[in-house]
Parts: sequence; structure tokens; C-alpha cells
Amino acid sequence: MSSRRFFLEAVTLIAAAIICALVANAMASRERKLAVVSQNVAAGPPARVPAKEPAPTQTIAPPPVTTTTRQPDIPTTTTTTAPPAPGTRHAAPKPALARGPFNPHPDKPYIEIHGDDVEYLHSKGVLFLDARRTSVYEQGHVPGARAFSVWESDIDEKVNKLYAERSDPKDQNLPIVIYCSGGDCEDSHMLAQKLWGIQFNNIYVYKDGFPDWQKRGLPIHTGSNP
Amino acid sequence: MKWLAHPWLTIRVQIALGIIFVVAALPKIVDPPSFAHMIYNYKLIPWSLINPMALVMPWIELLCGLALIFGIWKETARTIIGALLFIFIIAISINLIRGNAIDCGCFDVSAAGKTTAERIADMRFVILRDLGMLLMVGQLWFASRGAGSQPAEAA
Repeated sequence: MSSRRFFLEAVTLIAAAIICALVANAMASRERKLAVVSQNVAAGPPARVPAKEPAPTQTIAPPPVTTTTRQPDIPTTTTTTAPPAPGTRHAAPKPALARGPFNPHPDKPYIEIHGDDVEYLHSKGVLFLDARRTSVYEQGHVPGARAFSVWESDIDEKVNKLYAERSDPKDQNLPIVIYCSGGDCEDSHMLAQKLWGIQFNNIYVYKDGFPDWQKRGLPIHTGSNP
Repeated sequence: MKWLAHPWLTIRVQIALGIIFVVAALPKIVDPPSFAHMIYNYKLIPWSLINPMALVMPWIELLCGLALIFGIWKETARTIIGALLFIFIIAISINLIRGNAIDCGCFDVSAAGKTTAERIADMRFVILRDLGMLLMVGQLWFASRGAGSQPAEAA
């Protein structure tokens, strides 16, 4: 077999594969469609420059004034949250849940939290985003959580819609909890990075994810609606 | 070694390899976002290439598998499949060395929820399985170059 013939056949096969892929993707349902350009899949580089890290001496958060028995459960990651800048700590009117460790943290894309904090935030009606695939979301999700799969082609559309809902800078300081499947799942971190890139300042990643929610016996909704 | 290039064996190896690749391609074609996620997990591919790869690679597998089954352009299909297997083996080996336990995404793109130990064991098995398939490609190559032997005609 001549190399010229091999080359022509290989190019034809690959070209046919590309055409089939594009046609199939164009015809795919919304949940099975993949954005041809990869940066739509998940977070690319953040669109903003992170704020300067506070001085090291400030990285230990003071215990919140409203300390309750919940405090010992707050993971060490939350205790590294920088306190608000001096002078603003008590001044800024806080949204319902921006208290204690749940203050906006514009210097970092997200803070990882565990079940007790997640439960607390959920009880306060904080927005939850489910970064898993929509098909998995439909099988069971945190009540009120919205499907925000980073791997589906409509993620930017959903993010833009959320941004439109919370275009006021004050709203961008409202907490958002993102979860996926726990373990080594990185989808929630990707989504957090993406949201942080468009100025959302108070994002929490549920480190242990949905399996932990199930393990705690908390309520679960099924179907495509939050 | 004449038996190794025997048309009886060659035709079966060719069709079996074709079927394996068709079967492997279908779940990825059906659910490209899951396959893109799998490719991402390998941590080897730049962001910009993940989606194009997730879209096109399963179709290359499917078309090459069909080419082998029907005996059309089989030398080219065999070579491409050999190259893909080689790449898969390297990719999984790198992650095995790194200790990055991943689902291979070879025949199933759903998140299986396996433990790290299970994934590592699977990755070792996958390397052996891919090496076995590479041997099948080697047999086809050997048969097509075998002294005086006729290449298998599947169709």
C-alpha cells in the first residue's frame, strides 16, 4: 500500500469523522450537546484579577459574634477565610446569611464547606447549584438546586441568566452553594471558578457533595425542576 | 509462524477488532459531554482540544471499526486503530504513574463511582487489554506483510 493512498484514506476517514461529529452534535439534544469551543465547557482563566491576599496575620478569621454550637463543625478551610477589611466589618448591611464565616470573599473563587454548614445555608434558602450532569440531577438533587452542568453546552446561557438575575453588586455577594458528586469530582470547583470570574463573590463548594447529602438523610427532589 | 498469517485467523481478528471499536465508540457518540469530562480527567489535553477531541475521536473509532468489519480501507483503519491504542496506553500509563485514579472512559462514559483502588486496578487491566488489542493490530499487520499470504477479505 502506497503511503500516498494511506494518507488519502486516512484524511478521508478523519474528515468523515469530523463531519459526522459536527452533524451529530448539531442534532443532539440540549443535554447531550457539547460546545465545539472548549472554553464553554468549564471555567477558563478567570475574567478578573483576584484581589490581593490579605496580610498573613489576618488569615485566621475571628470567631463570629454569633458563635453557636455549630462553630466547631466549621471546617478549617472556612477558618482561613479572610475577615472583611477593617472598618467594613460591622458597617456593611449583610444579606440574610452573610454572617459569621459566610462573608463575601472576593479574594478567592470559593471556600470548601462540609455538611453542617451546607445544611445551615440550605435552611436559610441560599441558592444551590448542581454541577453534575442534568441526567444525574434529574435522578435526585438538593431541593431548590438548579441544574448547572459544566459539561453541557448551555452552561454559559445558564450562567448569563444567573448573572442577569443578580446583576446588582449587592446580590453578587449573596452566598451560593455548589455541589457535585464529592470525592474527586471537580465540576463544582470549575463552576465556582467560572462564577467567580464574573464577579460572584460568595461561593461555597460542598466538598462532600450529593453523596454526603444523601448520607445525612436530607430531603431530595427528583425530576427536572428545582 | 505461518498460522499467524493464516486468512482464517486474520479475518476473525479483523472483524473482532472492528466490533470492539464500534462498541467502544457508541456510548461516547451518544453522550459527548461525559466523554469530554473523561478526557479532562486524564489531565493531559489542553482545554481548547478537549471538546473537539470528545466529539471527533468516537467517530474515528466508529468509522475505523466499520472499515475493519466490512474490509474497506482496512490497512488504513488498522493503522489508525493501532495509533489510537498506542495513545490510550501511554495516556493511562502516565496517569497510573502519577497515581491519578481515573475512569478510562473506554467503553462506558458514565461516572461509575468507583473507589480509588478500584480505578487503579481497572487502569492496570485496561493497559493489558489495550496491549492485547495492539497485538491484534500486530497480527493484521503481520498477515498483510506475510510472505505470499493473501490479505483477508472481509466483505
